Amino acid sequence: MLSGERSYERCRGSLVGGVLGLMLLASCATSVPPPVPKQSMFLVIPDPEGKVGQITVTNQTGTQVLNQPRQASTVQSANDAPSPPATLQETEIKQIFGEALAAQPSAPARFVLYFKDDSDELTPESEILLPEVFRTVHDRGALDISVIGHTDTIGTRDYNYQLSLRRARKVADLLVAQGVDRKILEIESHGEDNLLVKTGDQVREPRNRRVEITVW
Amino acid sequence: MRDLLVIAGAMVLVLVLSVAVASASSSIGLVKVTEGTATVQRGDETLPARLGLALEEGDILRTGANGRMGVVLRDDTRLSLGPESEIRIDRFLFAPAKGHLALVVKMARGIMAFVSGNIAKLSHDAVRVETPVAIVGVRGTQFLVKVE
Repeated sequence: MLSGERSYERCRGSLVGGVLGLMLLASCATSVPPPVPKQSMFLVIPDPEGKVGQITVTNQTGTQVLNQPRQASTVQSANDAPSPPATLQETEIKQIFGEALAAQPSAPARFVLYFKDDSDELTPESEILLPEVFRTVHDRGALDISVIGHTDTIGTRDYNYQLSLRRARKVADLLVAQGVDRKILEIESHGEDNLLVKTGDQVREPRNRRVEITVW
Repeated sequence: MRDLLVIAGAMVLVLVLSVAVASASSSIGLVKVTEGTATVQRGDETLPARLGLALEEGDILRTGANGRMGVVLRDDTRLSLGPESEIRIDRFLFAPAKGHLALVVKMARGIMAFVSGNIAKLSHDAVRVETPVAIVGVRGTQFLVKVE
């Protein structure tokens, strides 16, 4: 626990000038030993969708690019260059990183529901999506749900702010009716300020009349 | 006297509400998985890493010998720690419309699994993981780090 505080906060005394600064620096030097170099290992694996990305490992003595499945590079100290890529076995990876991988959360789920013109009533197509939204909220044990209402650009900005607020509240009420705790809901209204499809003012655009839901 | 109490009460309420709003707007993500000893240090305060705890820039995430923790950030980045691990979310900026994109994670020890999110997708040099001996530039998506 202490090691972390040392590595982040360093010693404030070194910032203070003059004799006081030197005194602080001295007391600091006795209580905090210099940080020990820490060997690190870096490893690329396919993401949950199976795609392999790319990372670059760099320090003052070298750089390695890792972009093949299970490619690893090890760095002994800040003065040693990253090792050339070596491929690890799946069993080794599980052995070393299994506990971190086991704690990996799922990505937030997103839904977009569309509304009828100048209304807080869902389109029939979006109405059909509701059970899937409810199922997702339930299955994930949602901890936080963001509900953001939007409109197209017909009408005034103020009117649209109110309209998209009504839309967001409508969706929030539907969720609460399914047993969702209101405390985990974050309701926002963006009115006509956050168009999905860019249009000029006073343009009817069904794809902009929407509520975006993010389930965390 | 009663009026005074009502006014004082209202003032406290306003204060509490404004604090609540401030913390919600500065939240950069939340704790989604927690097991055993897992804490979040914010300034001088150490909070137990309960499910749903909102995270802030600068938070230090720590796990004990039997601990694990998984968090999701606002841009869909997912970080998870095994036991005896410690990271600091040094910088998190996610305002794509303004082109403000940055994520810097400092790792002091332990093991971490990292799945990059929208910041890495939108900007190739915006995501960085720093350990005491090297810096990782992240194009995406999933990688693992161990610091001894």
